Amino acid sequence: MPDDATWPLIGAPIPRIEGRAKVTGQALFASDEPVANPAYAYLVTSTIARGRIRSFDLAAAEAVEGVLDILTHENVGHQADPPPPHGPGKETTTMQTDQVWHGGQIIGVVVAETYEAAREAGLKVRVDYKEEAPSATFGSKGAVTKQREPGEHKDFAKGDADAAFKASAFRVDERFGTPTQHHNPIELFTTTCVWHDGSLTVYEPSQFVYGLRGALAKQLHLDPKRIRVVARHVGGAFGSKGIPSARTAWIAIAARRLNRAVKFVATRGQGYTIATYRAETQHHIRLSADASGKLTSLFHEGWELTSRPSDYNTSGTETTARMYACPNLQTRVNVVHADRNTPGFMRAPPDVPYMFPLEVAIDELAEQMRMDPIELRRINDTQVDPATGLRFSSRALMACFDQAAARFGWSGRDPTPGKMRDGDWLIGWGCAAAAYPANIGAGAARVTFGADGMASVQIAAHDIGTGSHTIIAQTAADRLGLQLAQITVQIGDSDLPPAGLAAGSSHASGICHAVDKACEDLRARIALAATTSNTGPFAGHNPATLSLHAGKLRGEDGTSEDARDAIKRVTGGALEAYAENIPKGLEADSVGKLYSGQMAISRGTSRKDVTAYAFGAQFAEVRVHARTREIRVPRVVGAFSAGRIINPRTAHSQLMGGMIWGISSALHEKTEIDPQAARYTNDNIAEYLIPVNADIRAVEVIIVPEQDAEVNPIGMKGIGEIGVVGMNAAISNAVYHATGKRVRSLPIRIDDLL
Amino acid sequence: MDITLTVNGREHRLAVDVRTTLLDTLRERLGLTGSKKGCDQGQCGACTVLMDGVRVLACFILAVAAQDAKITTIEGLAGEDEPLHPMQQAFLDHDAYQCGYCTPGQIMSAIACVTEGHAGTDDEIREYMSGNLCRCAAYPKIVAAVSQAAGEMKATQAAPELEHA
Repeated sequence: MPDDATWPLIGAPIPRIEGRAKVTGQALFASDEPVANPAYAYLVTSTIARGRIRSFDLAAAEAVEGVLDILTHENVGHQADPPPPHGPGKETTTMQTDQVWHGGQIIGVVVAETYEAAREAGLKVRVDYKEEAPSATFGSKGAVTKQREPGEHKDFAKGDADAAFKASAFRVDERFGTPTQHHNPIELFTTTCVWHDGSLTVYEPSQFVYGLRGALAKQLHLDPKRIRVVARHVGGAFGSKGIPSARTAWIAIAARRLNRAVKFVATRGQGYTIATYRAETQHHIRLSADASGKLTSLFHEGWELTSRPSDYNTSGTETTARMYACPNLQTRVNVVHADRNTPGFMRAPPDVPYMFPLEVAIDELAEQMRMDPIELRRINDTQVDPATGLRFSSRALMACFDQAAARFGWSGRDPTPGKMRDGDWLIGWGCAAAAYPANIGAGAARVTFGADGMASVQIAAHDIGTGSHTIIAQTAADRLGLQLAQITVQIGDSDLPPAGLAAGSSHASGICHAVDKACEDLRARIALAATTSNTGPFAGHNPATLSLHAGKLRGEDGTSEDARDAIKRVTGGALEAYAENIPKGLEADSVGKLYSGQMAISRGTSRKDVTAYAFGAQFAEVRVHARTREIRVPRVVGAFSAGRIINPRTAHSQLMGGMIWGISSALHEKTEIDPQAARYTNDNIAEYLIPVNADIRAVEVIIVPEQDAEVNPIGMKGIGEIGVVGMNAAISNAVYHATGKRVRSLPIRIDDLL
Repeated sequence: MDITLTVNGREHRLAVDVRTTLLDTLRERLGLTGSKKGCDQGQCGACTVLMDGVRVLACFILAVAAQDAKITTIEGLAGEDEPLHPMQQAFLDHDAYQCGYCTPGQIMSAIACVTEGHAGTDDEIREYMSGNLCRCAAYPKIVAAVSQAAGEMKATQAAPELEHA
């Protein structure tokens, strides 16, 4: 049995328990799942962005040897509804009708004996379109702007921001922009469908297997119990695999028509239009302060692009209105409809595009006032949510700034732009704040503890690289007093008890609390049996005081016995507990919602008692070549306070990866759109720029310890998003410091600095 | 077309479409799904395998063109109960991955990076590992892992597992 040296497991830097599977190629991602005798599918997608399909000419495609079936709206359109909308308004259709909503829309599926035949036939499908002129983006003819109605997201109006702005001595009044971005996980969008006796198994990378199951049940008019979704390992997601996409139902129908397994792997380019993306945004910020540096007003208006029928938006003003004490606040969000696929959530969905303008504007205001930007933030720091008047459950923003500034060496900064130089390289130092709501999902878990001292945990959680396997094992091992090797973890399967959507920094806390609750149920049963037994060392003890630790059931007075003997008092087999966890702020039917495939997330922004956020501070050094204007990032430092960290090792990787995403957001990523054709022109992973190894130098992560008893019982805040927030602004501020050029539209490229 | 492929020391005889890539052959015909498809157009490096010890992109090689080579995939580095290759162990030691999808390609590329003599400094490793994208962005830890394994691989001379490659 284990020794005490391994405890406590919660908070220990445990290597990923699935690590060996990942480095030996044994980890099964969805398209790796073996299925018998599959046929292969290839998608036909629209080459126009707006119009209707008059007709198909399938003769050449059907003549390709090995082609088994071709699906279009003409033969299967009535067999599947579109996925449920993931925001207000409606979803675009695909093969339901002849309508084309956007470039790259799914309009056909070719199935063949081999991938090569399916692809050849897919490329030979001829389509006659009735084409209309499409609107591509902001400012395009025919794009329609409308103010976002309050719903999931609210606007804030406090005091008189307009009057206060006009009356203030120091003012920033600027417009900003952020680009379209695509998640581009390295794992492509894949779907394998297998039918057996009227039941469907779907192997698909997913951030929400129950959500996909529920959507498919609605789309295909099937009992959800007849559908199983499996995603044991997910090869990156970043939001792209959280929303059910249209492809899955069509692949399921293709498999049903052939009565044969069908495998589908999208091309990299198709991934840009058959799933979601981060919409381009525009911003108008007005920020003012009095002579002491106290903010007097904040006005933040945002514009977000969306598809024609959907009002999807992220409304990051929910965070910007909460960052700093400010008596006069006004926020507004607009959606702009164009002929594009519907956007969705991408890592820190609201806060990457919305914190960028705020944190640049703060830097501009500080510069105007000749004040250090950290001091300006300190003057306006607050423990009370300025938007609602609720307390923050905890807020260590300035501790993050202080620790990161010290490590970075901020005190050595000459504030005058262009003054720091190393030969031909101009050096710039910049900083920005990070924030992300502390969300938590509902969830359920089943834990089995055998009389042999082994335990297993079952929960339909998702490991998208976040470390879910490992923190589940840590939580269970810690609570049951076992070693990690004594725990088996099963996740990523809708036949297991439901966990929520792995997104919005809500998953780790959601699943750990569900596992914790099931373990507590087991402990209580073991303890009750021990204390109510007439024999044995615990007769007469209070069961609440007994704990499982290091393979033993232990009392506060030091009494102990082997945990296996304690279990045997109840059963010679195994004890099993199923527990549901409904976090504060959620309705009693939240786990029921998960079973039916709906989201159930308690948001740090919508609680009645407190506002709950994680905070951080980002620092960046940039070097801009004086002649070529090439921009490099030799080092970044980020400090984050996010409550209790279950595994500092995997947390470090999450935060470091997030910070690199921030560098990417500032300097690399942008999906280019042809303004006439309304189609993406760099829809591959070479021309859509993301950092390669040589782009990244020193990345230093500081985890600022934080105890928060109010956020949730374990005290966890999510860390999946906060690492990316604010880094784009820190780099833009650093570029200004190096060059004196303020770039308010991302990404920052060489030509912005010429 | 009938072909013979030598993968991880085993000969496989099979009939393939001449258009079939080595990657699709490994994954769909031989059940070797450790090599990953991330772009199918030579941009991401997730499908990297060794051909006669040289790193290649399996999505860029037709199966028919791979017949004369000894191919090593991630599955060929360490059997189920065998000790890991030093590079695999180094990736574990440094948490040099998150989702793990690009990892087999990173590891195969990293082994070649060392045997090519391109792992002398961190800068060199960064440069010569830049053909393998990691969207989780584990890059600094990948550099640390390659650096660690380079020392160990040097100490044990050539990795014995690669002799059949």
